[in-house]
Amino acid sequence: MLKHRAIIDVSGLPATVLDHRSPIWWGNTLLLAIETTMFALLVACYFYVRVVDFTVWPPPNGNAIPPVYNTAPDLPLPLLNLGILLVSLVPMIWADRACLKRDARAVKFGLTLCVLLGIAVIAIRFLEFKSLHFKWSDNAYASIIWTLVGLHLTHLVIATSENLIMTIWVFVKGLDDKHARDVRVTAVYWYWVGVIWVLLFITIWGGARWL
Amino acid sequence: MDDSEKISRLSATPTRVSEQWFEEPHAEQLDHVWSPPRGFLGWLVTTNHKDIGRRYIVTAFIFFLLAGILALMMRIQLARPENHFLNPDVYNQIFTTHGTAMMFLFAVPIMEGFGLYFVPLMIGTRNVAFPRMNAFGYFVYLFGGLMLFGGLLTNTGPDAGWFAYVPLSGPQFSPGHRVDIWADMITLTEIPALVGAVEIITTVFKQRAPGMSLNRIPLFVWAQVITSFMVLFAMPSIMLASGALAMDRLKNVNTHFFNVAEGGDALLWQHLFWFFGHPEVYIIFIPGTGFVSTIVETFSRRKMFGYPAMVLSLIATAFIGFGLWVHHMFATPLPKLGQAFFTGASMLIAIPSGIQIFCWIATLATGKPKLKIPLLWVLGFIVVFVLGGMTGIVLASMSIDIQVHDTFFVVAHFHYVLIGGAVFPLFGALHYWFPKWTGRMLNRALAQWQFWLFFIGFNLTFFPMHILGFHGMTRRIYTYLPETGWGNLNLLATIGAATMGISVLLFLINVAVSRKSGALAGENPWGGSTLEWMTASPPPSYNFLHLPTVAGRCPAWENTPETPVVSGLSTTEREVLTTTILDAVPEHRYEISPDSIWPLVLALVVGLDLLWMIFTPWAYPIGVFVGLVVLAFWFWRGNEPGWVVEGIMSTPPKSKTEQLALKTEDAKAPSHH
Repeated sequence: MLKHRAIIDVSGLPATVLDHRSPIWWGNTLLLAIETTMFALLVACYFYVRVVDFTVWPPPNGNAIPPVYNTAPDLPLPLLNLGILLVSLVPMIWADRACLKRDARAVKFGLTLCVLLGIAVIAIRFLEFKSLHFKWSDNAYASIIWTLVGLHLTHLVIATSENLIMTIWVFVKGLDDKHARDVRVTAVYWYWVGVIWVLLFITIWGGARWL
Repeated sequence: MDDSEKISRLSATPTRVSEQWFEEPHAEQLDHVWSPPRGFLGWLVTTNHKDIGRRYIVTAFIFFLLAGILALMMRIQLARPENHFLNPDVYNQIFTTHGTAMMFLFAVPIMEGFGLYFVPLMIGTRNVAFPRMNAFGYFVYLFGGLMLFGGLLTNTGPDAGWFAYVPLSGPQFSPGHRVDIWADMITLTEIPALVGAVEIITTVFKQRAPGMSLNRIPLFVWAQVITSFMVLFAMPSIMLASGALAMDRLKNVNTHFFNVAEGGDALLWQHLFWFFGHPEVYIIFIPGTGFVSTIVETFSRRKMFGYPAMVLSLIATAFIGFGLWVHHMFATPLPKLGQAFFTGASMLIAIPSGIQIFCWIATLATGKPKLKIPLLWVLGFIVVFVLGGMTGIVLASMSIDIQVHDTFFVVAHFHYVLIGGAVFPLFGALHYWFPKWTGRMLNRALAQWQFWLFFIGFNLTFFPMHILGFHGMTRRIYTYLPETGWGNLNLLATIGAATMGISVLLFLINVAVSRKSGALAGENPWGGSTLEWMTASPPPSYNFLHLPTVAGRCPAWENTPETPVVSGLSTTEREVLTTTILDAVPEHRYEISPDSIWPLVLALVVGLDLLWMIFTPWAYPIGVFVGLVVLAFWFWRGNEPGWVVEGIMSTPPKSKTEQLALKTEDAKAPSHH
């Protein structure tokens, strides 16, 4: 049926955009706002109990045999893991850029590398819990730092799984516009996982030394 | 990119207004693309925002009725001194479940339900940005609600009050699983609140009709967006608090967030709870102001007075709302400076609320108001809410607050602001939009009875509580002695509560009768100003045959047949138009996801997993793993064009040419569901 009236013809507009104009980019960003609030509140709890409830920070561990007096979390392994996590951002930036050129080969390579590094970070993270010198149930300080590290571990697992499924998709089905967009949104999540860990690392490892 | 480049890019946009012949979309074709499959399966997989929004509203209203019955039981118990209708243990479970259900299962979800139903209609699009997430949110919410009332029915109802203060709610003083049910239900019901917030913000930012720049967004939509931002930053606090409480309580985990003996802090709970809890009040109230603004504008027959002041007041309320939480903690030892700050902030928030009230009165005074039922509820709202606001100013003063803390004066205050600020506008909204949902009008005489019974019943119930509070009657006591002399006022309150109950019953009767046999409404029975009145009642699955454009703040009053419509979107895929955030200039076409069974599956995984988490921490890693597997399916299958479970669910939509061919020989079109 043909009809005559004033129209705005949008058929010439692109069907997919690859940046912040996409609703999915916004959905992801708002999700990260929620998660950032979550971490910010946990960090607030950390400082709150420091100021209100503890005289010695970090508290000595009397449950350990022999008792440990300086319980500041160890540095070497966590620092190494922080380094690996930050290095993993590089192949992701590469894949992200390659999406704009629809360079499927570069995307595959960058994503695969990022997934492998992500798995390494997760594996080392399990060893990192030892460097906290406490079990989560020892005291409030321990509960808070375990929750911070554990919640970030959850994000590492979820983000790495997301990266993995994007990698498999690109290998199996190739890189169309929509999935180039999806890879770019996934990349934002991964950047966030890296950057938020820098802040949490400074809080937990620095807070035990400087407060 | 510098500014001149940006402007040239906008002006070089391939969209332009032109007068021309174009292919009119077929209503049946659009309906075919946008409808869920028929039958039970369709009910499970639908992602249409109107289905989901209506479900939220109906479910939340049922929880409102259930929690209202609990309130009546409490009033019967308190009607006379030394009554034995309820024992203290049951009474504790009932007042906790009443408060929890009213806040988490009724007030927030029903407001969000209105948003999810009407925001896409009011901004002129076909669905929300992430329809499957939307469906997921609803099922999780339903699961959380069933969990709470399931607990109550099995004598495992939470009994530590709706704000579950530690140490009472901690493992030492609340053994058993009652508080666990509370903590996990809270976590569950905040997920849909957050999902809905992301939906609404994204949809309003990106999917508004061309021409609907920020200064033309309806106030209802502004209210929903601002509320959603508050949800984004308030709800994580309660999720963290309830999660930490659950971990403190869980055997084999035993964290010490709130355990004073191990360096934890009981006041930390109060801070986390009220950092959510105070914004929560505005999360409930701001959508109510959206209803009021809409109704006032329609029945005053003029554009809202002071639109910029209204929007800025809402934004100011949202900001100040995050700086008030400590006024719930005036009875705790706090630094003097903190007390002074929060007293000041609590008084400050009266200013933006006052500005809004004056704008509504100015609109009514300078318009030609027609006293229809929705407006009656708005007038009731203004009276009741102003009364509640006045006791609010009284309570903001720390010295007075200490005197009446934990008395019935506080109970009276927050019922005046919450029922006044949310339930009165809500009933107005239910009456106002009932014709849009059903195509039929509610019975006016019955509605008038309902309003007056509710208004009188409400004041009979809650006004005496001010006096009871002054006389020293504390909250949450299950009975009192005859010598206190509280009996008569309590009896009066119980009579008032029964009157409110009858009023709600009349509403149910009205709905049941009118949806079948009410007068036909047509597109725009009230002469409303917003876009939802420019489509059929009830709206078709695709909302608008042509996506509209707008040239002013009140399109239903201003648009003419010459106003351009959008053309060129796909009629074979679920495609919507995205526009720029500030000026709503067309930007790109966006294909939104199809119906899917995976939201239901994921919601079941999340719900069952949180239930399981009451018993073992292993539910957490296992839940994450299973959830990720489900999400992988969701992503992998859902991104394919067409349908999720081909063959079982429906035939995949035909290509455009095939369908047009089918149209010509209409009789032989068996593939349409």
